[in-house]
Amino acid sequence: MESPADAVTMVDVRKTYHVGEPVHALDGVSLSIPRGSYTAIMGPSGSGKSTLMNLVGCLDTPTAGSVSVGGSDISTLDERERTTVRGTEVGFVFQTFNLMPRLTALENVALPQLFQGVSRAERIERAGGLLERVGLGDRKDHLPKELSGGQRQRVALARALVNDPALVLADEPTGNLDTETEAEVLDLFEEFHEAGTTLVVVTHERHVAERADRIVHLLDGEIERIEQLDGAGEPESEPGTADGDQGAGDEPATEQDGDR
Amino acid sequence: MRPLESLRLSWRSIRGHRLRSGLTTLGVIIGVAAVIAFVALGASLQAGIIGDISPDDQRNLYGWAADPDTEGGPLAGAQFVFTQDDMDGVSELDEVEAAYGYATIEAQSVTYGGETQLQGDGLVAAGPSYIRDTSLADGRQFEMGANETVINAATAEQFEENVSVGDELEVQTATGGAETLTVVGITETSEGLSPFEGFEAAPRIYVPTDPFYERQAVGPAAGQDGEDAEAEDGGALFLAIVVEAPTADQDDIDTTRDAAIAYLESDESDASAFLGDDLAVTLQTSTELLQQLEDVLGLLQNFIVGIAAISLVVGSIGIANIMLVSVTERTREIGIMKAVGAQNRDVLGLFLAESVILGVIGAVLGTILGVAAAALGAWYIDLPLVYPLEYVALAIAVGIIVGVASGLYPAWRAARTDPIDALRYE
Repeated sequence: MESPADAVTMVDVRKTYHVGEPVHALDGVSLSIPRGSYTAIMGPSGSGKSTLMNLVGCLDTPTAGSVSVGGSDISTLDERERTTVRGTEVGFVFQTFNLMPRLTALENVALPQLFQGVSRAERIERAGGLLERVGLGDRKDHLPKELSGGQRQRVALARALVNDPALVLADEPTGNLDTETEAEVLDLFEEFHEAGTTLVVVTHERHVAERADRIVHLLDGEIERIEQLDGAGEPESEPGTADGDQGAGDEPATEQDGDR
Repeated sequence: MRPLESLRLSWRSIRGHRLRSGLTTLGVIIGVAAVIAFVALGASLQAGIIGDISPDDQRNLYGWAADPDTEGGPLAGAQFVFTQDDMDGVSELDEVEAAYGYATIEAQSVTYGGETQLQGDGLVAAGPSYIRDTSLADGRQFEMGANETVINAATAEQFEENVSVGDELEVQTATGGAETLTVVGITETSEGLSPFEGFEAAPRIYVPTDPFYERQAVGPAAGQDGEDAEAEDGGALFLAIVVEAPTADQDDIDTTRDAAIAYLESDESDASAFLGDDLAVTLQTSTELLQQLEDVLGLLQNFIVGIAAISLVVGSIGIANIMLVSVTERTREIGIMKAVGAQNRDVLGLFLAESVILGVIGAVLGTILGVAAAALGAWYIDLPLVYPLEYVALAIAVGIIVGVASGLYPAWRAARTDPIDALRYE
């Protein structure tokens, strides 16, 4: 099931929370995210989006099934190892940016490397280069509060990329941005995607999701369907592809084991 | 994560809350400063007292007669029992270099060159050798039976025109009499010459017991025979005596002591008539006397340092409290750090580093403040400041201990924060 070409492989993943009645947040999800792909995850509240994101982001472990991120099965790892995988294989972009308020843009970008023990000189060079790439070369010493929302999200994207992760996980990355800035940030995402970055974007906005190669629709803790997009902003949905079809001829090995 | 990087990040967050960090540190500063100031002052006080014992004084035995069960310092419970004949008798012993009575004569004022100064401390009456040659800046010792005096520097300088050897002073005593004294010597120091006097610097006038004490003694000191005694030479009784050993060698001192006590308690002496079964003669060197004083001082100092240490505890509670607030406040930051790969120990290290920095800054500033306070106090009461250098190392150690002790729980709470909850935290 697992192929080295995949950034993430999920096999029959279940996550059950015990809050009085057991709640099945994820109920048998299998999904592969190939390297270099651009996946959007959509679904209403309570569909299991956050749980899926926490698992892919190595913040949580599944109750059953296996989740492999960057080649490591996180269900077999202890907390410390999981943190290492999270730090090196996953880059996070959050709706509320989540930058460290007292660190400059450069230091924020360099932060993940700090925890990997990278030397100061190396960190500054790497973070500086990434800030140049996201167009903030002249804002390196600014504090987050001195930056606009779009700029902050670009800093966050640079931070997500600093350890050269297997995938970048973005949770509602444009939720706090106006339309114009949103387009800027999404363009930047696309730019990095074209340069080979694996992107997973969780969103509830259709037009954000449509920037991706495919949209995974979640409902009640299960994959309702996977919608392949032709790229280039084609909004057409393909109702038939969710089950069985498996997108014949589609390169990104979209896997969805019929578990239901 | 490298320790230096932890310190750097922690220092950043301390600087982010200047006022809060400052106030938190203040608790430790006050605690450490109080402890250091009292310890240093105590050490200075002891050094000041011990430093005052000149080699000559070390062969002096200070004596009095009191109930053996009486507790306290020099002269506690002392009775008037010694006569001048006793002193002469002791002086004649082979083991004794010199023996004389010691007394203070109440005085009201001293007049020199038409200028009158109050003389609160009175006159010190003793034998000639009470004024040691080494302590004389000018002139010589007074002689027994002469109207002579040796004054100290403070007395000489208290008049507009300094008193010098050969001048005459007029002393008004408490009993109403007036004495005219010829200054024959001036001492170098203004501090007391024996534990009987105390050690503070003050104007002092030394006179021979004969004739002044004989003449001015009143009450029990005048002797039992009352008026008869006054007429008779040697009728006055001494409360305190000084017996000099030939050398400062401990063996000599012990033989001198034994011989003097044996003589005074034998039927040969006048004192034995008063001693009876109730009183015993005590003869002690300044070192032995000071030992008692030091014990008392040490006890007092421990007590004060104990109280000061409580403020140190309060200071650490302050750090713990502020670190807990800080952890709660920065839950989201903790979540971010964990999301981007911070291990539990990294987070623990960051918060621990923060409280240790606060503790160390508090301890170092507290040490500086404490030493400054001790220096000021030592200067004020005219003592040499003794400040062991290892206090600095000790203070830093205390700072680290306080920081770790108060930061451990908050840091542990921070470290085990669940990143999922922390990222959701508003």
